[in-house]
Amino acid sequence: MYQLQFLHSNTFRWAFAVAGLFATFVVVLFGFIYFNIDDYLVARSDHMIGTQTDFFVSLPFDREVSAIEDHLREDSRGVQFAGLFDPQGKRLAGNLERLPAEIRVDAPIQAVRVTRSNGGQSGDPLIRAMARRLEDGNIVLVGRAVDETLEISHVVGEALAFGLMPAFFLCLVAGAWLSVRTQKRVEEVNQRVQRIVAGDLRERLPYRNIDEPFSRLAAIVNGMLNEMETMINALAGVGNDIAHELRTPLTRARLALERGRSKATTLEQLQQSTDKALGGIDQSLAIVTALLRLADIENSRRSAAFGNVAFDDLLREVCDIYEPIAEDKQIRLSVAIEAKLEVCGDRDLLFEAIVNIVDNAVKFTPEGGRVDIELVHGDRGAVMRVRDTGPGISEQETEAVLRRFYRSEKVRNTPGVGLGLNLVAAIVKLHEFQLVIHPGPGGRVEIVCTGKQMGLETKREELFLRA
Amino acid sequence: MTKVLLIEDDGETAEEISAELIDRGFDVEWSSDGIEGLDKARAMRPDAMIVDRLLPGIDGLTIIDTLRKDQVRTPVLVLSALGAVNDRVRGLRVGGDDYLTKPFAVVELVARIEALLRRPTETRETILRVGQLELDLIERTAKRDERKIDLLPREFRLLEYMMRRSDQLLTRAMLLEEVWNYKFIPTTNLVDVHMGRIRHKVDQPGETPMIHNVRGAGFILRALS
Repeated sequence: MYQLQFLHSNTFRWAFAVAGLFATFVVVLFGFIYFNIDDYLVARSDHMIGTQTDFFVSLPFDREVSAIEDHLREDSRGVQFAGLFDPQGKRLAGNLERLPAEIRVDAPIQAVRVTRSNGGQSGDPLIRAMARRLEDGNIVLVGRAVDETLEISHVVGEALAFGLMPAFFLCLVAGAWLSVRTQKRVEEVNQRVQRIVAGDLRERLPYRNIDEPFSRLAAIVNGMLNEMETMINALAGVGNDIAHELRTPLTRARLALERGRSKATTLEQLQQSTDKALGGIDQSLAIVTALLRLADIENSRRSAAFGNVAFDDLLREVCDIYEPIAEDKQIRLSVAIEAKLEVCGDRDLLFEAIVNIVDNAVKFTPEGGRVDIELVHGDRGAVMRVRDTGPGISEQETEAVLRRFYRSEKVRNTPGVGLGLNLVAAIVKLHEFQLVIHPGPGGRVEIVCTGKQMGLETKREELFLRA
Repeated sequence: MTKVLLIEDDGETAEEISAELIDRGFDVEWSSDGIEGLDKARAMRPDAMIVDRLLPGIDGLTIIDTLRKDQVRTPVLVLSALGAVNDRVRGLRVGGDDYLTKPFAVVELVARIEALLRRPTETRETILRVGQLELDLIERTAKRDERKIDLLPREFRLLEYMMRRSDQLLTRAMLLEEVWNYKFIPTTNLVDVHMGRIRHKVDQPGETPMIHNVRGAGFILRALS
C-alpha cells in the first residue's frame, strides 16, 4: 500500500519543495553569471573595436587598406570584421560584402548583421560594429563577432543539463526513499504495537543503537513498556495473592457450615458452627474492604478534604485511644512532642495512617514492653516516629512489608490481613511525605513530613507517660 | 405499628431484611424499583425508609433528594455497595440520615433503623438521667446514685452518647463513627477495650449491671427498672 502513498507523505513533499527551490536558485545563479560575463565580453570587444577604429581613422588612405588586410590576416579565429567603403557604400577593402544598411555612421557601437565577402562560414553573423566617416568621405567599419557568449550559454546549458537535472531527480528519489522508509518503520511499529495491544506484553519496538530520532523514540517507548510490564505483572500477582488470601477464610467458613449442617444435633452446636462461618466470612470481607480502601486512596488526588491539620493533636488523640489497649497488654505508651506542627492534609487519612502504625506497634510488642510516639525536628522536615520494643522488622523485610499481604513469619499467628502498612504507604505518598521503616531489633517507623518544619516557638516539652 | 419502606432491587436481600424487621415488630412495605418506591413513599408516609443507591428507574439518591425537596423529613438509611468516603459523603449530603455499606450484618441494619426512629430529641436539659445514672453536661461530672464516677474526656463522650440512646442496641461500628469519629479502623476490639473500662467504672461489684454486651452485635445501656 505504501509504495504510492509516499507521494502524499510529508517527507516527500518537503523533498520536492527543497529540490524545486534548489533548482530555481541554481538557474538564477547561472543566469546571473551568464549575463555578467556576456556584458563583460561585449564591453571588452567594444573597447577593442573603438581602439581599432581610432587607429584606422588616424592612418592616411594608402596605408588604410593594407592595415585592414593585416588586421584581418592576424585574426585566426575569424571573429574580426573590417571594411573600407567609398561614400556610396562600395567595398574598397576588408571582408565585408557591403556596408550593412542598418548601420549608422559616426554613431556608438551597435549590433548589426553583416554579410561576409568571401562567403563560406555559416550565414550572416550578428556582430558588434561601428562605422566612421573618414576625411576623404570614405567609411571605415570595424566589427567583432561576440559569439563567445553563445558558447558560454552552451556551456551553461550543458552544465545545467548534466548537473542540475540529476541533482533534482536525486533529491526527489531521496525524498521518496526517506518517506517510504519512514512509512515502513511506522508500519513496523504499528504491527508491534498491535501485538502489544493484543496482549503480548513482552513485545518491544524495533531499536537500533544509533543516534537517530526513531531509535531514540523507540528507546523511550520501550522504557515505558518495561515499566508497564512490571506493573501489570505486579497487578496480576496481586490478583493471585487476593485469591489466596480469600481462600483461607472462605474454606474455614465452608468447613464450619458443612460440619454444622451434617453434625449439629442441637441448636447450640449449629449456632457455634454458624458463628465460625460468620467469622470466616467477616475476615474475607475485611480483606475486600481493605483492598478497596487501598485502591481508593491510591487512586485519589489531593482533594477538597485537604486542609490544615494539627499533626501534634492527632498524635495526642491516637495516644488517647490506644492507651487503654496498651494498658491491657501492660505496654507503656508515651507521646513526646517537641513543638506544634501544622501540615496540609486530609485529617481522617492522616489519622488512619498514624493509627495503623501505632496499632501495629501495640500489636507486635510483647507484654511489658513499651511504645514511644515522638514528633521531633529533622533535617528534611518534621519527623513522626513510632518506636516499640517488639521484634521489629528485619533488614531484608523492610521493603517486603510494603508488599500487599506480606506478613512476617514471626507474626503469622497474630490477627490481621497484612495490608496496614500498604495503607500507610499510600496515605503518606498522597501527602507527598516519606515513610521510613528502620530495621529491627525493635520496631521503628517514621513519617517524614518533607519540607514541613515545626513551629519555631518550641513549647515546653510535653511528656505524657502512662504506666 | 412502625411502618418501614424498603426500596431494594435485589429480591433475596429484600426478603431477608423484611423478615428480620417483621420479627422485630415492624410493618414492612417493599418496593423493587425507584419510581414505584417514590410513589409509595408519598402515598404511605412511612416512619422510616431504607433505600438502595443503585435502583432501576430512579436511583436512590434522587429519590431522597426529591422527597427532601417536598419537605418530607422521614429518616432514611442509605444502602450501597459503594463504600468509598466520597460516596458516603454524597449519600449523606442529599439528605440520607445514615449510610450502610454492603455487605452488612442484619443486626447492624436493624440497630441503625431503630436509632433513626428513636433519634434523641434535642433537649435543653443540661443533666442527662438514665436510671440511677446522672451526667452533668456543664460540670462534666458523672454519678451513679451518690457515687461519683471519674471519667476521661473520651469516656465522658461515650457515656453521653449511650445515655442519649439508652435501651437501644449500639453496634461497634455506630460507636466508632459517632464517638470516635472513625470511619476506618484496623481493629474493632478498640471499642471493647474502652467499653470494658467504662463498664468497670459504671457497674461496680455488687451493683446491678447497666451496660450490657449483646453477643456478636454491640452494647446496650439499660435503665434499671
